[in-house]
Order: sequence, then C-alpha cells, then structure tokens
Amino acid sequence: MADDENNWIVETQHLTKIYRNRQIALNDVTLTLEPGCVLGLLGPNGAGKTTLLRLILGLHRPTAGYVRVFGRLMTPNAADIRRRIGYIPTNPQFPRGMTPISYLDYIGRLFGLPRDVRKPRLATLIRAVDLLPHSGDPIAHFTPGMTARLAVAASLINEPDLLIWDEPTHGLDIEARRSMLELIKQLASEKTLILSSHNLSDVDEVCNHACVLNKGQMIFHGTLQDLKGRIRRNHYELDVDGDHKAISKAVGVLRGLKDFTQVVLRHRRLDVKLGEETPNTALLAQLFQVLHDHKITVISVRTVGMQTEQAYLDLVEREESRGFVRLYPASEAA
Amino acid sequence: MSTNSGMRGEWPRNGHNRRAAEMTDPPAVVSVRFHRFLPYWAVLQTDLRQTSQGWLFVLWIGLMLVGICGFYLYRVGLHQEAGLVQSAAVLCAEALRATFLGSLAVVVILSVAAIGTERGTVADAVLSRGISRHQYFLARQHARMILVGVVFALVSTGIIAVGSVLFRGGEADISLRGAAVVVALLSLLLAVVAAVGVVLGALTNSTILGIALYWLLLYGGGLLLMLAPETWPTPERELFRLRYVLQGYYSSAYYSRIALTAVAIAFAATAWGLIGFSRRDV
Repeated sequence: MADDENNWIVETQHLTKIYRNRQIALNDVTLTLEPGCVLGLLGPNGAGKTTLLRLILGLHRPTAGYVRVFGRLMTPNAADIRRRIGYIPTNPQFPRGMTPISYLDYIGRLFGLPRDVRKPRLATLIRAVDLLPHSGDPIAHFTPGMTARLAVAASLINEPDLLIWDEPTHGLDIEARRSMLELIKQLASEKTLILSSHNLSDVDEVCNHACVLNKGQMIFHGTLQDLKGRIRRNHYELDVDGDHKAISKAVGVLRGLKDFTQVVLRHRRLDVKLGEETPNTALLAQLFQVLHDHKITVISVRTVGMQTEQAYLDLVEREESRGFVRLYPASEAA
Repeated sequence: MSTNSGMRGEWPRNGHNRRAAEMTDPPAVVSVRFHRFLPYWAVLQTDLRQTSQGWLFVLWIGLMLVGICGFYLYRVGLHQEAGLVQSAAVLCAEALRATFLGSLAVVVILSVAAIGTERGTVADAVLSRGISRHQYFLARQHARMILVGVVFALVSTGIIAVGSVLFRGGEADISLRGAAVVVALLSLLLAVVAAVGVVLGALTNSTILGIALYWLLLYGGGLLLMLAPETWPTPERELFRLRYVLQGYYSSAYYSRIALTAVAIAFAATAWGLIGFSRRDV
C-alpha cells in the first residue's frame, strides 16, 4: 500500500449499499488501490461487483461509507473526477442511430474535450480497434465483438488514469478475448485498472491484485500471490516414463512414506497428495529421490487445478461454512 | 491488421499487440483545456436529434396534422355547402384547444420518458463520463422543452394562418397581436408541462407510473377545476377565452401573470428535480 494516503487511486471506507431497505448489495467494504494496481474483482453472481464499480463511478450513492477517487470524494456531480476514468459496463449499450464516429465524438464531447483534441483522438482509436471499415455503419448492426471494441475505444478517448472494465471479455470469442487480454496487459503498464470478471483465468493472467466479494461482503483483498498462497499446495500430477514394474514399485514405496496421503498411478500418470504437517519441498525432495532410485524419468510436473480458481473457491466455501461466526473477521474467529 | 476480420465483425486477428500499443503509446504532453459546458450541449443536441427522429414524436406531428386537416375540411365544407358564416377566431380557437388538449397526452409521455427510460445501461454510458448529474438533467429537460415549445408554436401558427386564409370570407377577425399572444402562451404552457414531466420522470422509479400519475394530475385536475367557482381561472375557461384573445381582446397584465406563474412552476420543479436526481441511483 502507498505510504501517502493521497497517492491512492481509489479508497473506500465502510462502503455499504442497501437498495430501498430491501436488498443488501454491498456490506462494509474497505479497500484501497495504489497507482499501477490491476485489481481483479471476483465473486459469484449477485456478489456486489457491479454495485461496487457503480459506487466508485458515482452512479450510485452509498447508503453508508464513502468512496474517494484520486483523493477526492466521489459524488454524482463529480464530473471532473470522472474525466480521469474510463468505464466499460457489462453489456455496453449505445444510443440509437449512431455510427462509431458520431458515438466517439459524442463521448468525447461528454468529457468536454475540445474539437482539436477530440477528432484526431477518435480517428486514432477507430483505427486502433480496427473499426475503420465500419466507421460509418450504424452501431445497431454491430456484432458483440465489434461492440466490445467500440466500448474499449470509448473508454480510452479521454486518456484516463483509471480504467474500470466490467466483464470486458464477456461474450467475446477466443481471438477477441485474447486480444482484449493483450490490450489490458499493455494498459496495465501505465494505468490503474479494475476488472470485474467471472473468468478466473483472465484475472490470473492480467491482474496483480484481487478482491473477492461474496453476498456483498469483501472476503479477500490483497495481491494475487496472497490469494494463491491461501490454497493448500499439496496436490500434484506427474507424467513419468520408465519400466512399468519400477514405477509400480516406486508407487509402493511412496505409499509407505509418511505424509504421502494419496499416491495413485493411472497409466503413466502419478497423482500425489501430500500432508500439511511437513513442508512440501521436503516431501517433493523425497518423491523425486524415490523416482530417481527406481530410474524413473519425470516428463512433467503440475499442480492440480488452477491455483487462482482453487483459492477463490476455497475462500468462498470457507466463508459459507463459517455460519454466524462471519460476524467476526476470519482472523478473530480463528 | 486484416480488413477482412473487421468485415466479419470480429476482433482483429493479427497484430493485436501492435494495436494495443498504438492505443497506449504515451501521448505527446498536451494540456487539454476542457470545455465546461460541452457535455451539456452534447446531450442537448443528441436528445433533440434522437427525439425528433423517434416514433412518438412523428406520431404526435402526424396526429396533429391529420386532426387539424380533418377539422378544417369539415368546417370549410360547412362554409361552402351550407353557407354558414363562421368566425375565423372561433374556429382557430377550437382547433387550438383540441390540439393543445390532445398534445398534452403525448407531451406527458415524451417528457416523463426523457430520463426514466434511459435509466440503467444507456444512462451508464453517459453519466459515467465527464458530465455532472445537473448538466445531464438540465440538458434533457431543455431539449424536451425546446422541442415541444417550438413544434407547438409552429403548429399553432400554422393553424391560425391557415384558418385566417380559409375563413377570410366570414369574419376575418384575428388580430396579429392576439395571435402572437395565443401562440406564445400555449407554447409556453406546453413547454412547462414538458419541464415538469422530465422532473417526474427523473424522480419516479417507473416510467409507466410517472406517465399515469401525470396524466391523472393534468386531466383529472382539469376536470376537477371545472367545478371551481366561475371567477377562478381554470384551464377549460382559459382555453374557451382564446377566441377573444385571438380577436385582440385580452389583458396583457393578466396573461403576463399566467406566464410568470407557469415559469415559476417550471423553475420550482426544476430545482426539485436537480436536487432529487442528484441524490438518486441511476
């Protein structure tokens, strides 16, 4: 975290949103974002991700708590703060009867950009997102991929310092998704980003921080490494090569070792689960020693499942299982 | 970058890194001087253009023209065939009264729907940019007021002009000043109705509910006021008096008071809307 509070790009304190006294969308969310941070906002449907983003943008008013962006309080009338933010909603909608040129010009004018700045910039962006052949076509006839590209251009026209993209890869095909992720990586080098996504592999690839929401409650906020560090690193798969009898014999030896809770051989794939008492490096050293002793070659080693996904599911599951103890922070409850 | 991929409407197939780099190349350091009121003008112009191309607006214009043409054809027929001598002021006042009352229904929908129907994703695309709620609200409200006021002024001018020409054989009794007062007053009143409608639309959660409430308020209120004492200036009585105003018999002070009251209502409603809309979720 930044030492100086003024350096925070986004700061929320006890942010709570209750819709018409009927639905608690967000509950006591306190988080800070420092410059250069790429925050992945994770959570199941209805977790409060979009509500949090809309509160940060000033589209919604907090029921309690506050949001500061660039050190200033965000309000519905804080237009000068929003001039430094680029936003893509989940399913971008566009006004009727507009073309990419007229739409980007409109968005540029909404940011108060003078013509001399606006026009060259929109032309560059239309070219950059490869909409040049369609720059005069009505947006209504655009495919989801083209719509997503236009939304990206619209979010960049004001050259924002903070980008807030709500599920930017939603509905995109593989190529479009890949291109979007590459763009995010490029932008991450000079801007602060908040990405809301259901796709954990996307977050894993481009984000350096994560915030996990569940039923309006923030259950994790920290670096992606911290999130991954929470999972038990005890399940491995090894593809091995060698004499079948030797492999079977090695499996037998491994099963006899302490802290090897599961050793299963499927064809030439070894599925190993380790105990938690001993450091896994020591156990893995033992494992490789046994394989070496039996003249078995290791072709590949990998952890089972995606780490971020496991960590996320683990977090949500743990939160669900805490019952009424949720009243207290996890550390206190423990 | 493949043009074909663009033609298929898909994300660029090749060189996405280059494109991404183009978008993120550090720009030359230029201090941009933001135009403070440009967002207001952008919303105002876009709203004027889009509303004037909308089906409801076209329907409104069409219904007014068809209604007026039908009414005048009928009256001209009576004039020609039956030889009835008719006062141009009376006929124009009748046409204006019917057009005004009919237009109220459409203006209510046009105004209440101005902000209400855009709440959600479309409003997101606008309000998440560099525009304040105040500017957005005022731009929407002014666009609807301008559209309604200008269109009704043009139509009512047309009604009076055509009526004067068609019924000049009878009593050509329309005064220019009286006609100007009628056109200005009715257009102003409709614009105020639109202004209040935008406020209601911005403050109610349901557009349908807002429209229903406003219809009830205007038509129901108008009917109830018919029961008021004779000395009270009710809408029905004022509309009936239009024939005299067209003939030039009116009190400037009286109609100035009505106009000022209408403007005051519009200002009060706008202030209420500005405060309320700034405190609402969109």
